[in-house]
Amino acid sequence: MSGIQIVGLLFLLINGGLFFGWLVQRMSGDRGGASLRMTRLLGMALVYEALLIGAVFMFLPFYWMIVTSFKDSETALTFPPVWTPSRNQYLYEDSEAGRDISVRLLGIQRSEGELVTAVPESAMDFRRVDTGEFSVTRETPDENAPRYQVDPTQLSQDIVMRIDGRNFMKAWYAPEAATRGSVNFGRYFWVSFFTGILSTAGTLLTSALAAFAFAKMSFPGKGLFFYIVLLTMMVPGQVLLIPNFLTLGTLGWLDTYLALIVPFLASVFTIFLMRQFFMTIPDDLWDAAQIDGTGRFRFLWQIVAPLSKPVFITAGIFLFLGNWNALLWPLIVTSSPEMRTLMVGLQTFNEEAGSEFELLMAASTMAVLPVVILFFLLQRFFIQGIARTGLK
Amino acid sequence: MKLLSQRRHREALEAYAYLAPATLVLLVFWFAPVIVALLVSFFDATALAPPGELNFVGIAQYKRALLNDTEFVRSIWNTINYSIYSVPITLALSLLAAMLLNTQIRGRAFFRTVFFLPYVTTWVAIAIVWNYVYHREFGIANWLLTVIQQAMPWHTGDVVTYAWLAEPRGVWEMMIFDPLRITLPQLPGDADQIVRGPSLALFSIVITSIWRDIGYFMIIFLAGLQNIDKSNYEAADIDGASPWQKFWGITFPLLSPVTFFLLIISCINAFKEFTPMFIMTPDGGPDYGTAPMVFHMYNAGFTGQWELSYASALAYILTFMILTLTVLQNKLIGRKVEYGT
Repeated sequence: MSGIQIVGLLFLLINGGLFFGWLVQRMSGDRGGASLRMTRLLGMALVYEALLIGAVFMFLPFYWMIVTSFKDSETALTFPPVWTPSRNQYLYEDSEAGRDISVRLLGIQRSEGELVTAVPESAMDFRRVDTGEFSVTRETPDENAPRYQVDPTQLSQDIVMRIDGRNFMKAWYAPEAATRGSVNFGRYFWVSFFTGILSTAGTLLTSALAAFAFAKMSFPGKGLFFYIVLLTMMVPGQVLLIPNFLTLGTLGWLDTYLALIVPFLASVFTIFLMRQFFMTIPDDLWDAAQIDGTGRFRFLWQIVAPLSKPVFITAGIFLFLGNWNALLWPLIVTSSPEMRTLMVGLQTFNEEAGSEFELLMAASTMAVLPVVILFFLLQRFFIQGIARTGLK
Repeated sequence: MKLLSQRRHREALEAYAYLAPATLVLLVFWFAPVIVALLVSFFDATALAPPGELNFVGIAQYKRALLNDTEFVRSIWNTINYSIYSVPITLALSLLAAMLLNTQIRGRAFFRTVFFLPYVTTWVAIAIVWNYVYHREFGIANWLLTVIQQAMPWHTGDVVTYAWLAEPRGVWEMMIFDPLRITLPQLPGDADQIVRGPSLALFSIVITSIWRDIGYFMIIFLAGLQNIDKSNYEAADIDGASPWQKFWGITFPLLSPVTFFLLIISCINAFKEFTPMFIMTPDGGPDYGTAPMVFHMYNAGFTGQWELSYASALAYILTFMILTLTVLQNKLIGRKVEYGT
């Protein structure tokens, strides 16, 4: 029986014991204090275990992503996986000329550049002559021994734990190779931030105005709102892709910032969210404002808006996230590398990088980081905003 | 009296002014396109052909999609399979998570954050990470599978690993029929699909989407659970109800409006899913077994021949299916939902 089997057996036994104990306590019909406490204790143990397993399942891919982004390509393609941020220790990194080193040789190249032998994982003693050149010391110790040109990156020692951020730099500038130096991830981030912030701010503005009209003013046609909300919720946005693509083509907006901002400058859902909030603001405030001679427009921006900060933040978060995460629309309306949003850039990089997982994971980590930071800063609004959508 | 009506009149004008910006954008980019897309779907427009040669073709595009385009029919099946598996499992697991977190345990905030984290990260990054998780040789999905098999007390030697995203075989075929050593005959038409189950490739994407959405649903369920009046449970305790009875007698019915809302929303979203399949199986998966309808629409409209009319028709078929589904759910389940306490 192997070690891992013993762990598995223990796991089964402990859980079986917990469950059985819990069952016996429940069935015993004994409703005394001690028995009840016991049942609760056993039940709690099972609950914690379920939650912990769930948490591991939820977090493992993130952990894997972050750890891999610190690895080198060899360590990233290792099975069983390496669970720490590790790299192959390359000997060329800390060997000096004239010093004897013992290495695991993965391949030897003669100075002409042609591959003579590949001796995987056989230890040989080398003497470093100068940069990139090594002479074998143990097998042919004389001075006239042939010198080998060894690819220094092939001289790896062992996998050692090491935090090294170079993958992030590599991934950041990687798109430059495919686009002749015109863009890197900095550009992608800029496009996403710029269009995301502009369209979020614009949508909040148009939505606040419309929501105020629906919540606090009376006009013919007000009753239509409900049907508009229903209609926009039912029709999938995919139907709009082609006509909007044609419209933007006619306007000459394809492949510009406008294509990524203007079509999203109104959101029925945001209007709905804000209307619900504005309706809870008492009309007395409006009466008081009128006595002071305040117009509706000033009333909206100086009194209603500051009171509605939570709904502005919540709606803003979701609008920005929606923009940040959008893939299909930016994919369709942009064609030049300069106009790629972060998501399109990441997707393109994914196609180009193939199996360079350490770079892909580094790029993914960078793409995820801003929204995760946003989430931790505004967690309260996230949670409340989502909780409210289910209870309307 | 006249003054009042004049004021009303002015108020209405002001209201229209406030509505104007949002209405303009919605008209141009929402309401007009809905109609334009329908019109376009009756023509034979492609982005490459000169606009002068536009022909009215009636419902030919729809006929072609449903009768001649086997890949599209396959993508309908993929969409349905994806929804059928991802929606109920996500709902059940997130309800379970919410109920576990609704007890008096330590570290609630921690668990809530960890469960919710996937939802705030982005689909593209998630799909790229899971692509690696499902890697045939070096992925942690196969590693986990290996470890679990090795940890079984009865483990002897061989371990089974899967090709995950590259596996065209159906999950029932792999999990039920293969272990029982039943070789399935080639069944006619769609029956084959149903018996063999969705491909493991598609099911892998289902697992990823469950992983992503659990936290979101859990938060909404938690809010719903906290809204349930505690006195209901106290009364049940006095009557000596078991946890099982309490769940089906109190929690489930009182939570049904929330569950129903989530069911509708998640079905609509599942039918519109595009990003994970596009990133994880850019070619549509083995045997085109993962491509959803939106994926096929994207391929038809924005790659190759750029058949805009055909893609519009596909979008309308999708719309029609979503509308039908939503109305059906409202009719069949909606009336059983108990509102109010």
